[in-house]
Amino acid sequence: MQVELKHVFKTFRHNGSAVEALHDINLTVADGEFVCLLGPSGCGKSTVIHLVAGLDRPTAGEVLVGGRPVAGPDPSRTVVFQDAALFPWLTVLGNVEFGLRMTGVAPSQRRARAMEYLRLVHLSKFIHAYPHQLSGGMKQRVALARALALQPGILLLDEPFAALDAQTRAVLQNELLEIWELARPTILFVTHNVREATGLADRVYVISSRPGHIRDVQAVAVPRPRHAEDKALLALQHNILGLLGDEVEKVLREELGETVHFPEAQHAVPPEQSRGMHI
Amino acid sequence: MRRLLKPIQAVALLYLLWQVTSWLFPAWPGPSRVLEILWAQLQDPGFQTALWGSARRMAIGYTAVVIVGIGFGLLIGRLPLLDQITGSLAVALHAIPGAAWVPLAILWFGMTERAVLFTILLGASGIVMVSTDTGIREVPPLVRRAAQTLGARGVKYFWFVVVPAAIPKMVDGLRLAWAFGWRALMAGELLTSVSGLGQRLNQVAKAQQLDALLALMLLLAMVGVVVDGLVFKRLEQAVRVRWGLL
Ligand SMILES: Nc1ncnc2c1ncn2[C@@H]1O[C@H](COP(=O)(O)OP(=O)(O)OP(=O)(O)O)[C@@H](O)[C@H]1O
Ligand SMILES: [Mg+2]
Repeated sequence: MQVELKHVFKTFRHNGSAVEALHDINLTVADGEFVCLLGPSGCGKSTVIHLVAGLDRPTAGEVLVGGRPVAGPDPSRTVVFQDAALFPWLTVLGNVEFGLRMTGVAPSQRRARAMEYLRLVHLSKFIHAYPHQLSGGMKQRVALARALALQPGILLLDEPFAALDAQTRAVLQNELLEIWELARPTILFVTHNVREATGLADRVYVISSRPGHIRDVQAVAVPRPRHAEDKALLALQHNILGLLGDEVEKVLREELGETVHFPEAQHAVPPEQSRGMHI
Repeated sequence: MRRLLKPIQAVALLYLLWQVTSWLFPAWPGPSRVLEILWAQLQDPGFQTALWGSARRMAIGYTAVVIVGIGFGLLIGRLPLLDQITGSLAVALHAIPGAAWVPLAILWFGMTERAVLFTILLGASGIVMVSTDTGIREVPPLVRRAAQTLGARGVKYFWFVVVPAAIPKMVDGLRLAWAFGWRALMAGELLTSVSGLGQRLNQVAKAQQLDALLALMLLLAMVGVVVDGLVFKRLEQAVRVRWGLL
């Protein structure tokens, strides 16, 4: 299924004051394509995910899936939310089976299918645990298994690996790529991490904030499997970081007030060294 | 053991204070005397009948409160129109002190057991309805969104998402309802002629047996505290932990 946003605007109104979260967003994800949204905090990435999921409506413009306007949420478009959003009263297994139960998968198949995806995220040993007994990273993996178990045509991932350590993150990134190559869902993947975006995606949309708008689109013309030290990849990362370098400071200034001082020295250092790969 | 230390200290302190006041005012029976009477009462078959009568009434009444309270709470939570009409009714119901139902209960059912049960039901189910209704409306947005994207709709959404999400609020209501029901039971038994602890209170008060009266009141307090502590506090704690509210 293809995803398309045409001239999408989104303004949140709150007791008289208005926040423009998205400004004239035009974006497409081809059927079976892996696209990353990359941008600083507050630029509207989660808002885009919610719009495509059908959990929210644009103020203006169109959100199309397979050429048709999105009317509401649908189990063919599952989401891994930024904060996992597990059901606290269900076990790990219960959470993964939930969508299967809702969509009427037979009880005998439910268990097997849920177990299959739990194995994939390395949680087979924790199927009877409750969410409050899990670490942040484990919760996020349950949420991933829960979204995958429905075998959706479109998978929406909102910083799914942000809470994980580097190793687990790498393992799960590879597993996600394997699933993607096998089942070919259309993937819209949100991240703060430049290396993650360029490592995974076919194309990266770079988003700027206040209001959120698309700053640039970069195709990642590096064949998979990709190596972290690949020259073209590093060049691309450098390019994107340069594009967003001052952006991050701008956002922090607005959020924290003018009292924040950024050491001059930082500008002398290449961005990927001073800030790592996170923007 | 550690956990028990504080309650034991508190009880010991109360006992001591009571003892001291009974030395200062000789007309005021001391704790050892009251406990002795309570012990003797508990052996007495007539008293045991009264105790079991109260326990049975409380069990039946509270079960009815749970069923009616949660049932109506779910109903008004589910049907917005019904809620507009009867939701404020539940709040009003909850605002009337349990004892205030006794005269009406006697008018309708006479000085019978039914009157007592009616008093418990009306005295305690309002809070369960109100808290169930509140729980149902306050499904956390994150949970709602996750459920919707996973295909939960209509009746399934209600039973598999809304109801479990409301359980912590329901448990709060059930705990309060226990306390309200216990009060309503006593009010009902005091004013009707059903054999129970309330009636016993009446009898010993009329006979001016201060020590026996205190023994009964001590029993009422103990039952209330023990049931709340052993059942409801634990239940509430367990639910809070699992629902991630701690
Ligand atoms: N429900 C809402 N009501 C009001 N404002 C909102 C709402 N949701 C988002 N916003 C605002 O819209 C803007 C974009 O929010 P969004 O959550 O999409 O950002 P984000 O890019 O996902 O940020 P982060 O990387 O920190 O998750 C922010 O300024 C935020 O304050
Ligand atoms: Mg976000």
